[in-house]
Amino acid sequence: MRLPITGIGAVASIGRDADEIFRNLCAGQGGLGPMRGFDHDLYTGTQLFEIDDRPEPGVDRTLRATGFLLDAVGQAARDAGLGDDLSDCPVLVGTGLRELRSAELWWRDGVSFGPERLHFGTALRERFGTPDTHTFSNACSASLYALALGADMLALGEADTVIVAGVDSITESMFGLADRVQPEPPGALRTLDVNRKGTILGDGAAAVVLRREDLPPSDGALWGMLRGVGMTCDAKHPTAPDQKYVAEAIRQAHAHAGTKPADVDLLMLHGTGTPLNDLVEASAYAEVFGPDAGVPVVTGIKPMTGHTSGSAGVLSLVTALQVMATGKVPPLIGLEQPIEEAAGLRLVRGQEAEHQVSLAQVHGFGFGGINAVAIVEAP
Amino acid sequence: MSIFVTGVGVALPGADTAAALAAAVSPVGSVDPAAVLGKKGLRYKDRATQLGLVAGLRVLTDAGLWRDGVLNVDGNRVAVLVSSNLGNVDTACRVARTIADEGTRGLSPMDTPNASSNIIASEVAIRFGLHGPNLMVCNGPGSGLDALRWGAALLRSGRADQAVVIGVEPDNEIVRELVGGPVADGGAALVLERSEAAEARGATVHAEIGGHVRVAGPAAGYERLAAGEPAPLTGWFASGAAAEVLPAELPGHDLSAIWGELSGALGLVQAAAAIGGFAAGARGPVCLVAGSDDDDGSAALVLRPPAPAAPRPAAV
Repeated sequence: MRLPITGIGAVASIGRDADEIFRNLCAGQGGLGPMRGFDHDLYTGTQLFEIDDRPEPGVDRTLRATGFLLDAVGQAARDAGLGDDLSDCPVLVGTGLRELRSAELWWRDGVSFGPERLHFGTALRERFGTPDTHTFSNACSASLYALALGADMLALGEADTVIVAGVDSITESMFGLADRVQPEPPGALRTLDVNRKGTILGDGAAAVVLRREDLPPSDGALWGMLRGVGMTCDAKHPTAPDQKYVAEAIRQAHAHAGTKPADVDLLMLHGTGTPLNDLVEASAYAEVFGPDAGVPVVTGIKPMTGHTSGSAGVLSLVTALQVMATGKVPPLIGLEQPIEEAAGLRLVRGQEAEHQVSLAQVHGFGFGGINAVAIVEAP
Repeated sequence: MSIFVTGVGVALPGADTAAALAAAVSPVGSVDPAAVLGKKGLRYKDRATQLGLVAGLRVLTDAGLWRDGVLNVDGNRVAVLVSSNLGNVDTACRVARTIADEGTRGLSPMDTPNASSNIIASEVAIRFGLHGPNLMVCNGPGSGLDALRWGAALLRSGRADQAVVIGVEPDNEIVRELVGGPVADGGAALVLERSEAAEARGATVHAEIGGHVRVAGPAAGYERLAAGEPAPLTGWFASGAAAEVLPAELPGHDLSAIWGELSGALGLVQAAAAIGGFAAGARGPVCLVAGSDDDDGSAALVLRPPAPAAPRPAAV
């Protein structure tokens, strides 16, 4: 399978479009800051990777996630030359938290909100005219799960073009429950570092446009080709990951793509910075790659974007495509002493690296033990 | 490639089989998960998850995939799809209110898994050892039919051999206020399977999945499916405003009028009721429709009765 990716779009704490985000990633500029929408007095931790779009500090509003999604999808559609009429184009959205933040504000403060906006179809129909939209609430691997389903739609001939997106804005319930069990909140998100203290949430959205491979070239860009996506479920623990099925997702991705670990030039980590995720992820990777574990360069975006939950997978994919286009690889900032399990890896540290990438592997793992891994190829 | 329904499970107040669902005229009592599943392990699971586990147990048992506490097919090849819009809305809202009142010190860490909307799908996978693709569909009124569509897609693309598709919605003070009325507090489930896999293990076929669409408005969806279906449609299932624009001359079934708000469970409850009708002798394909002209999209799906057993060659 070689599905052309003809458009990209993204928003995050470090940029309002895909270009600005990538510039900041390469410059090592993270988006962590004092939290803007939640009351500092109610929490132990007070820093998040938020998109700064609230009316004033301390005042929150509904439908922020919806806005991020519309921005990212609009960017990707324009980049692909599709314009603003997507009436024939299915849009698949992966999200961890849907518009639950708006529901929280509705219940707590009595602001106006209805069930028709818990999912994103209503806003997508209003803005882009498409009735064929799908909101999948698949935790932190949601957008890569959506990517697999979008690719399958094209392979089954159910559509010519599909937009796959991911989005999340931080909910107080998710942040609060994490805060409850972190007496010392992490001062930074430090993927793979021995002194990592946990993850920090972020706002974000990202989107890509996928086309069937048997169609003539489109008017849009050509960022790369999707080769395959693997999906598994640990079926073991609601929150803790299981190395066996993380490794199986990696193997499945390569089986779908018809590639092998030694072909991979770039690994985009899930890399949440929690003690368990990073350990399991590095171990599963080593298990599958064996002697080839030192071949790809390895990086991740979360130390600079935060953990953007359901959008994280496609945001990492967009970054991988930008690496392929530019030969620049953003660094894992804050990584001082890698864990033993990552010792033999070509970690990009300190500052951006120059590296030509023709095949990249992108990880996304989520609560509920749901794992997805994508393989993408340069044009 | 044909996709068959080889299992049906029902978890509604007073209806625990497709036959009971097809005959029901009103809810009776409530679903008691502890009575079905045993109390062990249910304590911190939210209501939607408990309902999903009940529907999951019943559908896997009906499909012959789960016997005496053991899965008898390869769990790596079984996909789980759950549709629910309201599932964990209560947890998110309640936790946000507690934070405002008491700070995060007032929270229970046991709520953490329930803050993620996919808790139902992951708990079903954990309980029954299902390692295939695991998908939580939260897609508004059409969500249940959408989940059936994606279940069929995972089978067609070869990513799974069986797909367990569940739709459940919980009732509580918070979601009642959100949707403006009582919620069904239950749901239904199907097992989908490629025809050759179903035949290979000698499964009982309850129905066959026909065409599906997701378009603007129920009338357009119905017309497209009617035009593509080899046999004439013999009835439909739709609720509220969607029911008003479908052919009045055919028998129509508005299940929300019986059960209350079905939301993400609607498509699965419609399918289970239609299968109850097939078992009672209904002949000919029916159209399931969810989502009206007022909604962002309208999903529609044809369900065909199982083919009659092949007639024996006539004696000459």
